[in-house]
Amino acid sequence: MSSNEERRFGELEQLPEVKLSDEAATCGPSLSRRRFLGGIAGAAAVTAAGVVPALLTATAMAPASEVAAKMPSGTFEAEPAAAHFASIDQPVNYPGKPVWYADPPGDQKFAMVIDVGACIGCRRCVYACIKENNIGRTSGFGYIEVHEMELGTWELETSDIFYQKGGRPDRWYLPVQCMHCAKPSCVYGCPVQATWKEPDGIVVVDYEKCICCKNCLVTCPYGARHVNWIYPEVPVDEINPKVPLKQKYGVVEKCTFCVQRTRNGKTTACVEACPVGARKFGDLNDPKSDVSVLLQTKTVIRLKEELGNEPMIWYVG
Amino acid sequence: MTDVTSTGVATADIAAVRPGVKRIVGVDFDLGALRSAGPRYWGFVAFLGVFIAMGVIAFLLLTQRWGAVVAMRDTYPWGLWFINYMYFVGLSAGGLAVYASVHLFGAEQFRPLARFAVLQAGVLVMCALMGIASEIPGPMARPERMLQFFTRPNITSPFVYTGSAATIYFFICFFDLWVMITGKGGHKLAFRMTLIALPFAIYLHTTTAFVLALNKARELWHSAVMIPIFLTSATASGIALLIIFAYIVQATTKTRFKPSMFRSLSTLLATVMIIDLFLLVVEIITIYWKTSAMPGHVIRFNAFFFGNYAWAFVPVLVLGFTAFGILARQKTRHIPAVQLTAAGLYVFAVFLKRYSLDAMGFVRTTLGQVSGNYWPSLVEVLLAVGILAFGILFITLAVKVLPLEEPETEEGHDMAHMELPTAPSLEAR
Repeated sequence: MSSNEERRFGELEQLPEVKLSDEAATCGPSLSRRRFLGGIAGAAAVTAAGVVPALLTATAMAPASEVAAKMPSGTFEAEPAAAHFASIDQPVNYPGKPVWYADPPGDQKFAMVIDVGACIGCRRCVYACIKENNIGRTSGFGYIEVHEMELGTWELETSDIFYQKGGRPDRWYLPVQCMHCAKPSCVYGCPVQATWKEPDGIVVVDYEKCICCKNCLVTCPYGARHVNWIYPEVPVDEINPKVPLKQKYGVVEKCTFCVQRTRNGKTTACVEACPVGARKFGDLNDPKSDVSVLLQTKTVIRLKEELGNEPMIWYVG
Repeated sequence: MTDVTSTGVATADIAAVRPGVKRIVGVDFDLGALRSAGPRYWGFVAFLGVFIAMGVIAFLLLTQRWGAVVAMRDTYPWGLWFINYMYFVGLSAGGLAVYASVHLFGAEQFRPLARFAVLQAGVLVMCALMGIASEIPGPMARPERMLQFFTRPNITSPFVYTGSAATIYFFICFFDLWVMITGKGGHKLAFRMTLIALPFAIYLHTTTAFVLALNKARELWHSAVMIPIFLTSATASGIALLIIFAYIVQATTKTRFKPSMFRSLSTLLATVMIIDLFLLVVEIITIYWKTSAMPGHVIRFNAFFFGNYAWAFVPVLVLGFTAFGILARQKTRHIPAVQLTAAGLYVFAVFLKRYSLDAMGFVRTTLGQVSGNYWPSLVEVLLAVGILAFGILFITLAVKVLPLEEPETEEGHDMAHMELPTAPSLEAR
């Protein structure tokens, strides 16, 4: 501390203590001291009680300094981007064993990169996903929503998700789905821990625990969660036996990164269906995987980065 | 056995002298009053019964055909049941505020209303809980899953806090009423109960507001001012409803309240109203001011001034300021018609405010798409009306059979003054 600073702080410390005169202390409403103190104590208790949820939510997030310490420094010795993101992608509310409809997780950290410059908006990924994951054909949703926007604009508010046919040269396409965030607000918001993040980064929903309060729908910034308001109708010959069906009525479902495939060495249905190879899926722990290489070599962005959810899907274009 | 109440009156003696009075858990239920009730009373009960029956049918339909009979969808997942949850727990606050002011601040002019206020608070929070229990499909098909709130609560979810607070608050209200009626524990216990009930009332409304405000995904909810807005709206609408309730009690029973009490309540109401409206206005300014306006916020709020929710939000301001304007004039504040008009306007305005607040989170999806209008389906409306009718029926019966009128004895007042020698009291003219 410089001498000037010492002097300044020294002066502050020496400030005289302000005392109320007897007259000033006794003016105002004629509350008895005991009652006044009681009121103060009550108000403090109320304030403390009211902010408990906020504080708990805050403590669930990693301290900024901790995250900052792990950020690549920009030098040649910097931690590779994929390794950094793999390190922050930790289980959240994981009960210790995988969700009942999935195989045990391996030591991967799954992530995806989508090339919006290549995407032609054909929605083949949407249809493949619906078929693979037993999504009700009349349920009115899919796990993937593709936004069509005019070239040169990035305005979700004016984007079109009901466009008739993709591939327009004056448009670009932004597919959005569950981002399997490292800081998943949906998982933090579920009141009964019916959804969690598994060790390999996949956010899952336990359909046998979900009470369908829909708070996860409300807290998800990406609109990635959906309620089965009606029984999910799937033609008998198209039912995927590896994916639950009847358990999904009256509960919330979402993209699982095709957990039934990816934990068995396959890729996701959407990646497989993409005709232009715009989707890359892989393991952040593997430096040679497509996603690791892309994160290290391309300029990438994430949707709603500013919210701090640390989504595990990147866009490149 | 003879119990002696805080007022020194032996309740067993009352039971002994009045036929038809039955004592259950220390409370004298005047069942004879029901037998002597006139056809108008029973006609009203039957009228409520019709709505309750329709509510039951709606509930059964909901359990069988859920998604097919509700208007809620992914883009608007919390409908009328959540609007009513916010509204009812809010309304119950006013009752508690009045009751607490008797014990904490020595507002003796409100004492005659204390039992009615706590009854109102308890019944409203009961309606709020019934709304949750009937609308979430979990309890319908899989009631055991709701136990997870106790077995595996997630401490980072605001839902855990508001749900548990509402449940505990419900029990506190009715225990409080029991304490007041039986006089068990005397003034000391009543005072201690206030110390528990009031923080819980505030806690309940704070955590309900947190369910909205702690959402970074929903732009218009994600505001700290949401919490004080909830508290002021709750207190204002609760006091307004209590004024209406007191006038109805006065008109339909032999209970009489002093005009000075209504005037004091109206003054309190006007004060809370203007704070409530002020908070709303500063929020609107923050959204639209050139240096703070964010496109996502503006485009969403525009729907409430110029778009599909203007019908709900614009009246919140118009009715709110009108109600305040009516009560602001001191010269006319003592007139019952003025008090009732202002109170009625504000109770309705706060319902529209809850409707708007709910819609503010869903007017567009988190990815910016227009959600479309939410109009509750007939089944949702019938269920909500059925629950409300059940609450009104509960109060109608309670007012008839429970000793809700505060016994006015010299001793009772003396004790109150001994407890609160220097406490300031609110205006009483």
